[in-house]
Amino acid sequence: METVVKISGLVKSYKELTAVNDLDLEIKEGEVFGLLGPNGSGKSTTINCLLSLLDFDKGDIEIFGKKMTPTAYDIKKDIGVIMQNVAVFEELTVYENIDYFCGLYVTDKAARKQYVDDAIKFSGLEEFVKFRPKKLSGGLLRRLNIACGIAHKPKLIILDEPTVAVDPQSRNKILEGIIELNKNGATVIYTSHYMEEVEQICSRIAIIDKGRKIAEGTKEELKKMVKNTETISILACEMEESLLGEINALPHVLESSYEDKKLVVHFSGGKHNLLRVLDCLQKHDVSFGRVYSELPTLNDVFLELTGTALRDSEG
Amino acid sequence: MFLHNFKYELLSGMRVKEVVIWLIIFPIALGTCFKVAFSSVYENTMVFETINVAVVEDTDEFSAQMFRKVIGDVKMEDEPMFKAKYTTKEKALKLLEDDKVSAVIFEGDPFEGSGFKMTTASNGLRATIVQSFLDQYSHNAELLLTAVSDSGSGSYEDIMSTLSAEVNSVAKKQMTHGNTDMYVQYFYNLLAMVALYGSLSGLHIAIGGQANLSALGARRNVSPTPKLIQITASLCATFVQEALCTVIAVTYTRFVLGIDYGDRLGFVYLAAFIGGCLGVSLGFMVGSIGRMGMAAKNAICNAVSLGLCFFSGLMDGGMKAKVELSAPWFNRVNPAALISDSVYCLNVYEDMSRYWEKIVSMIVITVILTLLGFVMTRRRRYASL
Repeated sequence: METVVKISGLVKSYKELTAVNDLDLEIKEGEVFGLLGPNGSGKSTTINCLLSLLDFDKGDIEIFGKKMTPTAYDIKKDIGVIMQNVAVFEELTVYENIDYFCGLYVTDKAARKQYVDDAIKFSGLEEFVKFRPKKLSGGLLRRLNIACGIAHKPKLIILDEPTVAVDPQSRNKILEGIIELNKNGATVIYTSHYMEEVEQICSRIAIIDKGRKIAEGTKEELKKMVKNTETISILACEMEESLLGEINALPHVLESSYEDKKLVVHFSGGKHNLLRVLDCLQKHDVSFGRVYSELPTLNDVFLELTGTALRDSEG
Repeated sequence: MFLHNFKYELLSGMRVKEVVIWLIIFPIALGTCFKVAFSSVYENTMVFETINVAVVEDTDEFSAQMFRKVIGDVKMEDEPMFKAKYTTKEKALKLLEDDKVSAVIFEGDPFEGSGFKMTTASNGLRATIVQSFLDQYSHNAELLLTAVSDSGSGSYEDIMSTLSAEVNSVAKKQMTHGNTDMYVQYFYNLLAMVALYGSLSGLHIAIGGQANLSALGARRNVSPTPKLIQITASLCATFVQEALCTVIAVTYTRFVLGIDYGDRLGFVYLAAFIGGCLGVSLGFMVGSIGRMGMAAKNAICNAVSLGLCFFSGLMDGGMKAKVELSAPWFNRVNPAALISDSVYCLNVYEDMSRYWEKIVSMIVITVILTLLGFVMTRRRRYASL
């Protein structure tokens, strides 16, 4: 697979604050690449540097094997950008907006008409073509924003937090659309602080925090980075605290706790961990209620690598 | 690429609510209010009255005597045209400030090659009469000198014959092409206001073109259409939009309100349109400065437009003359003053040179402001977004 985007040693500072610190990224053709990090971690700054909107202090950026500059129009024509903020003309209708932005990339009128029709169909805006943006709901507005960014059928699509403040139904529609765009051949860069979204659609993920890349890989590879591979929680558990010692002695147990009749056991690797815990409880005639087994999330990865939960660091 | 941008810029521009309100509805409403307020006053001010002037003498006795003789002798409708008070500069300006005279004449000596200068408290028929009289006096003095020098050893009769022929031809000239009443100036300033409110559209261009000021700007900046093409298309579309608004304003005031702009209406449209372009470029330049948001820049543009209109006399007919006294340079660069003056000159002076002078000034300022805007927005990368 060819490299579509290559970022080497990118450094971007705002006075005292280093927003992006020596960042390296390589994104291959056909990937859905996730850039995951809390708010203020440097995701949008990275994207803006990538698009040559922002000056940066150090580093090199190549797209499609060519150096990216503000006047690299031959590169820009193959990029579609969906910014965090909705960027459409309030005074133009849905159709006119999509046609306008598509026209910045595609000069052939006949081809453009087809592209615009495809984008309208793709984003499910057929019934709203004559509406002005003000008349659209938040979700539809986001879809229009996306349609304006992808109407020219770009090879590389960059989505910077496109689902912020979007209802779950529209969010699912947007995520499904991104997967479809990828299936149609586009390479996608997707930034978000919603780890579930990134897990759902991205084939490879880079986690960044305070401007630094702290981990990169597939979600499976990332999850392997954490010691805690399984967490078992048992509610309404009527047991003696002294039993904790026996549970801690079970194979692969990292640690366990018992508080407010809730037993939580963390494991590192191993199979049939749940069975072993339940056997132990039955052996001591302990009654219990609901049982949960959770596999690690990207939040656990973030927590382990940074010492703070992804959600704690937002904001 | 250009036409595509132009089409949508024009389409979106004409649908902006602020444009419709400030450039079409508001001038129509204000013009109608002016008409209602001034129509009765206008009807009562058309009787000629002797004009009080102050004369500051600064020439030799011969020239001063000549001028005193002429100014005392000229009449209009059997009334003396001027009542002159000869005094010092300071006292003359005080008289003007106290509204006791309509103009202050600073004597020059046409026989020595120095021209007359005049300061007035307001534009209008009186100021025009004084100015025309001074022009005529200077012109005749020059003719006399030329006739004397050209005749060489010619006879007295030859000289007088040449001079009277010239004087007659000058005397037959039409003095004005339209209504010189001071209340019409409010409508000139109304046109200036419409033109300057074009700054709102110019502001939209600047903000919509910069990635650090709007999401729209960011999206446009990442497209493969060069910024120069996008901004040029936007400016052209806005100039067209401004032309439509000024056409509406001039047409409404002329044909609905019946304001007499004289018999050179085409040039009134031209002046209003060039003024509109100036307004757009002003907004474009203001919008390109700094990182303030749309609301703040909108407020600045509105304030600047209204301020310039205020100093050109939209709210107080005598304001421009007051500015002329204390900071005459400001009237030469104030877009609102230039716009209203251009229409005024058109209606008052037979000679078009003053009109073209204002038009050229407006074009030069438009070009300068547009270039400044371009220089400030040409930045391709930003330090922060």
